[in-house]
Amino acid sequence: MDILDEIKKDYVLDLMKKEKRPDDRGFFDYRPCTVEKGIFESAEGSARVKLGKTQVVAGVKIDVGTPFKDRPDEGVLSTTAELLPLASPTFEPGPPNAAAIELARIVDRGIRSSNAIDLNSLLIEKDKVLMVFVDIYVLDHDGNLIDASALAAMAALLNAKLPKYEDGRIIRTERNDNLKVSQKVVTCTFSKIGSRIVLDPGLDEEKAMSARLTLATTPEYVCAMQKGGSGAFTKDELMNLIDVSFEKGNELRKFLD
Amino acid sequence: MEKPKLIIDGKRIDGRSMDELRPLKIQAGVLNKADGSAYVEWGGNKVLAAVYGPRECIPRHDASPYRAIIHCRYLMAPFSTLDEHGRSGPNRRSTEVSKVIKEVFENVVMTEKFPKTAIDIFIEVLQADGGTRCAGITAAAVALADAGIPMKDLPCAVAVGKIENEIAADFGKLEDNYGDGDMPIAIAPRNNELLLLQMDGMFTKDELRKALELAFNVFPKISALQVEALRAHYAVKKDELSRGD
Amino acid sequence: MTRIVVPGELVASSPQRIEFAFIENGKTYSSVLGLFDEANPRVIPLEGAYMPAQYDIIVGIINEVKFAGYNIDINAPYKGFLSAKDSRYEYKLGDVISAKIVEVDEVKSVNLEGARALRDGEIIEISPAKIPRVIGKKNSMLDMIREATKSEIFVGKNGRIWIRGGNSALAARTILKVEKEAHTTGLTERISAFLKDEVSR
Repeated sequence: MDILDEIKKDYVLDLMKKEKRPDDRGFFDYRPCTVEKGIFESAEGSARVKLGKTQVVAGVKIDVGTPFKDRPDEGVLSTTAELLPLASPTFEPGPPNAAAIELARIVDRGIRSSNAIDLNSLLIEKDKVLMVFVDIYVLDHDGNLIDASALAAMAALLNAKLPKYEDGRIIRTERNDNLKVSQKVVTCTFSKIGSRIVLDPGLDEEKAMSARLTLATTPEYVCAMQKGGSGAFTKDELMNLIDVSFEKGNELRKFLD
Repeated sequence: MEKPKLIIDGKRIDGRSMDELRPLKIQAGVLNKADGSAYVEWGGNKVLAAVYGPRECIPRHDASPYRAIIHCRYLMAPFSTLDEHGRSGPNRRSTEVSKVIKEVFENVVMTEKFPKTAIDIFIEVLQADGGTRCAGITAAAVALADAGIPMKDLPCAVAVGKIENEIAADFGKLEDNYGDGDMPIAIAPRNNELLLLQMDGMFTKDELRKALELAFNVFPKISALQVEALRAHYAVKKDELSRGD
Repeated sequence: MTRIVVPGELVASSPQRIEFAFIENGKTYSSVLGLFDEANPRVIPLEGAYMPAQYDIIVGIINEVKFAGYNIDINAPYKGFLSAKDSRYEYKLGDVISAKIVEVDEVKSVNLEGARALRDGEIIEISPAKIPRVIGKKNSMLDMIREATKSEIFVGKNGRIWIRGGNSALAARTILKVEKEAHTTGLTERISAFLKDEVSR
């Protein structure tokens, strides 16, 4: 962290002691959010999410391929994320680093655990399945890439249409049915700053945080959790955040309609 | 493979009750060259942890003028599973696991005592049987202590999960693959703070509460074995003495 | 009574300023794997890297010859530096020296002075945490080994020990034995018996 970051971190910590956030939000308020679906025609599904000044796009491509040997009746879901160098002065070009890998795997986990995509329904015939590739492209980093990415991925999947498959060939120019998506999974990411916890951290708040906790929810279940950072949470804090996640998750879910 | 029945007559597939740990053995100081090391056998898991450091930080640009940098490399050997030969080297899963384990130790190691250096933690899973990251954390904590590295606490970890609406502690491989939810947890035992928390599956809030309770019931048993391993490492030498070595 | 303590283990229910221990919420906990002496509250680490400290006498190895001086390997996570002005002698890469740490600054640069070449002989490295035991109270252990082996022995705080002449093999073996059993009781008598036994062979 450079000098400016240290100054920002101290500023955020000071504000937090006075129970304030840099943009004056409530502790569990999301920044203004927009979700646009179907922004790229070349992709089978796509979406762009703006969460405050954070911007993420997601594209879904559907291919035909062979299933994994140990799951011959299931299609394949694969999620990757790129922290593009243009999104932040701190992102370097190169293959996905640990942060990018973790981001993709958290988003994937929520979708996979909730069975939002029924992988069995992607079976075409023996040894032939549909493969659903979700690619998350982070375009502008102003904090909370996880929630923005998860929202974008989910929106892109909801928006995705299956290409026509006839006589052993994909005809990409014809799209018929929607990809079957049975759940709308959303994530809520919290940051621990000092001894307080806030939802949807902005970039400056992320610099001051000691730990983060992400919960992916469907309306009734928690389907994924991931704690990050070197700080710690208590059991009680976790139980409280579960409640907040259900409540705030429902709010976020409305953006997917 | 057809899904096996994971609960039979109230007992789990390997005969355990819901709150029972698999057999767990921990040994400290098993390697010669490493500054600290530990070996854990937990159910069918065979995990080796080694620590080098504090030592010069490589790559240099990683180094911090304020504290030691912790590097953690968790890897599964290509021969570690019953499946076919795996590929050597890191993959996306092991990269994520390495990151979350590193964050556990960033919390407890007193890194500010060793500016500009690195503390390198290596976790090698030689045989995998579910809960490898928990076994790895449990081993690495012992290895760090064995290396004489100052820490605020000795973290331990266990995976709890959901099988057919029941909550069970210390998930084995089959339960991991065919169960309904898996949650690895690591804590700092002194104040019970959560240092690692991941979950996949479908849990209600109530189920999560039960799962945490169960985990906190078994943590003391794991912690006791870590402490015993460290004490035993020095007590053994006492035995060799009386033989007039 | 001493007992083995682990990181995070309670050593006092009141705040005590003890090295290798920390205070939290009014209680004191060990920060390392060590021996805790209840009677004389202190934590003696059983392991640990050498952390250079001012005034320590160490055994170093010339690592790099530069224009203004030498980089010295001091068996620590930090390098030592010896100014060329320290003596007229010109050291070569790989030379072994004894020296005193004159200063360790905030960024852990270690400055050495008073270097003396340690020629010939052999170097053994043991865990720096065990060095005090090798020296013994008022040099008792060290003198006992010197007496029995007639070797020249120079002990560096940084875990490096230089041995020359006499029954140097026995000196090395004895030191390694002390290292292995450093935390046990009755060590002095056992080493004395061991040396008598070996010498009489």
